Amino acid sequence: MTTTPRNVLPKGVSASDFEQALTQIRAIVGAEYVVAEDTALAPYNKIMMAVPDEQHAPSAAVMPDSVEQIQAIMKVLNQHRIPVYPISTGKNLGYGSAAPVERGQLVMDLRRMNRILDVDAELCTALVEPGVTYQQLYDYLQEKKLPLWFSCPAPSVIAGPLGNMVDRGVGYTPYGEHFLFSSGMEVVLADGEVLRTGMGSMPGSNTWQVFKWGYGPTLDGIFTQSNYGIVTKMGMWLMPAPPDYRPFLIQYPEDTDITKIVDALRPLRIAMVIPNAVVIAHTLWEAPCTKVNRADYHPGPGAISDEAVQKIRKDHNLGAWNVYAALYGTPETNAANWKIIEQVAAATGGTLITDSTEQGGRATQYRFDLMKGKPNLGEFDLYNWRGGGGSMWFAPVSQAKGSETLKQMRMAKDILAKYGFDYVGEFIVGWRDMHHVIDLLYDRSDAEQMKKAHACFDELLQSFAREGYGVYRANTAFAEKVAATYGPVKRDVERRLKRALDPNNIIAPGRCGISI
Amino acid sequence: MQPNKTRILVASLVLGCAQLALAADPPAQERDRTYAKVCGFCHDKGVGPAILGRELPVAYIENVVRHGFRAMPSFRSTEIDNAALASVARWVSQSPATSAASASATAPASPAAPATKAQ
Ligand SMILES: Cc1cc2nc3c(=O)[nH]c(=O)nc-3n(C[C@H](O)[C@H](O)[C@H](O)COP(=O)(O)OP(=O)(O)OC[C@H]3O[C@@H](n4cnc5c(N)ncnc54)[C@H](O)[C@@H]3O)c2cc1C
Repeated sequence: MTTTPRNVLPKGVSASDFEQALTQIRAIVGAEYVVAEDTALAPYNKIMMAVPDEQHAPSAAVMPDSVEQIQAIMKVLNQHRIPVYPISTGKNLGYGSAAPVERGQLVMDLRRMNRILDVDAELCTALVEPGVTYQQLYDYLQEKKLPLWFSCPAPSVIAGPLGNMVDRGVGYTPYGEHFLFSSGMEVVLADGEVLRTGMGSMPGSNTWQVFKWGYGPTLDGIFTQSNYGIVTKMGMWLMPAPPDYRPFLIQYPEDTDITKIVDALRPLRIAMVIPNAVVIAHTLWEAPCTKVNRADYHPGPGAISDEAVQKIRKDHNLGAWNVYAALYGTPETNAANWKIIEQVAAATGGTLITDSTEQGGRATQYRFDLMKGKPNLGEFDLYNWRGGGGSMWFAPVSQAKGSETLKQMRMAKDILAKYGFDYVGEFIVGWRDMHHVIDLLYDRSDAEQMKKAHACFDELLQSFAREGYGVYRANTAFAEKVAATYGPVKRDVERRLKRALDPNNIIAPGRCGISI
Repeated sequence: MQPNKTRILVASLVLGCAQLALAADPPAQERDRTYAKVCGFCHDKGVGPAILGRELPVAYIENVVRHGFRAMPSFRSTEIDNAALASVARWVSQSPATSAASASATAPASPAAPATKAQ
């Protein structure tokens, strides 16, 4: 290992102490699986947030391959009080990527632990390690010819179920609320103890992946969006591939149509006629994913005009709102439910599109794939809109009520425009809520846009909080500010839990605003 | 760490699968495996720029993969190890000008076609 002087150290840790710890850790995982040179750490410092890279620079990265190695590492970290930031597949793009929440934290990269430990084809469950990607799981199921589907987020080829679930991510099949469809976790605690949640605690139990709750308090939730442990295994439910899958798109011409769309679809979603997470994507989400070139419509600085957006709709056959959903069932049940969909589309003035290759555009294809859990990277087209690799998701939760959505959309659009950014948004319909996901796209190589993007996110956050709207998840640069919007009592309880479970404050201090 | 000791049959099947998954997952020796399993999802689909047939220098490709570039994410050695990176970089660098077209033509079912109208 090279011995160039280190410029990034964990907070409060001396260079010699750190060096000693790294030597101990190398002895545990092998020297090749510990990196601490700037060049080798580069992949852990590529971020999309509107803050300088240095703010999230890691001091080192360690890549263990087993629970036992993690346990041994935790001992060393406690001894030297070194903060560690665990990542699984490390593709939390637009939320912090693979970089630590605070500068100097040591990244624990679990990507090498990529075993698919169990797939039960009868019970439709899986047990996976942190490094398993959705693409890997997809290939595995294909190879074994198992007719099982999972739900995945858009960057599914390179992201993974465990990392996504612990950040409470979402996908697009009927199992789209990923934490809800997880069953059982194994967690290495700060002191090295290994906890299995739910039924997994009981010796000899074979119901870990089928019954989530166990006995006594259900602990799984405290290991999501938190820093109370390092999750090393996760159970998840798989969905039997339906005999008939009918994806569709309904396009609506006006921004204000969102009100009637949501009010018409909500009952169908709650009653599970439409069982999956419906997506209602705005024109400017569809446009980049249909290869519309922004400069053709808006060559100058500032936010794109409403007139230009209208013209894009006309030129490229896009709706103001583009609703994606699907029916999953037998040909008979789907035929019956299809009549309802046709009626709803007709009654609300929407244009129904079912054949993605003929009528729908490029965006439709990747959406139809995502709704059956087929991994792709089609949505990365979003980044060709503004260019420059800047992205921060602003994702407030909304009630699934029409009036609420229009209000949120207008608020967001006005604030974004003030800073020169476009409203690139969609609503992902949960069972009664909606994740209003907005991609704050900006050019990260432009210092001025960086500053504006930061200020814009801040204003979005504060303005929405004043209306009682909180975000479902947030990037690491804003963790503290987002946590503050949820009030003091929750934070106090979180801090007490942190003291109890991790008294040396070594696991990801600052993640979701939790620290001692 | 087998979770279900009672289901011996399934467990052994699963163990076999786990090993298979292990063997199959780390970017393997085949020269274009990494490209097919990672890079191609953007670079063959018109999401990222086409990179085949452009004689891009190996060192440049390796650097972009590790550092990321604008919206392109960085990839860590745990995702694409050094050997796989060297191999895919060489393969991309040496790919003939025609392979860009043939690669997208043989790519698994997807919207390759509209990519052309984009430019
Ligand atoms: C174009 C685009 C579209 C996207 N669409 C979606 C989408 O549809 N749905 C969605 O949910 N997200 C989406 N994202 C955001 C993000 O890329 C995904 O959520 C992705 O799944 C998260 O990365 P990951 O799975 O690699 O998890 P990781 O990056 O590995 O983990 C996420 C975070 O969880 C914590 N963590 C990870 N592993 C552990 C562990 N073992 N123990 C304790 N804590 C841990 C860490 O804090 C880590 O930073 C999108 C991003 C892009 C760029």
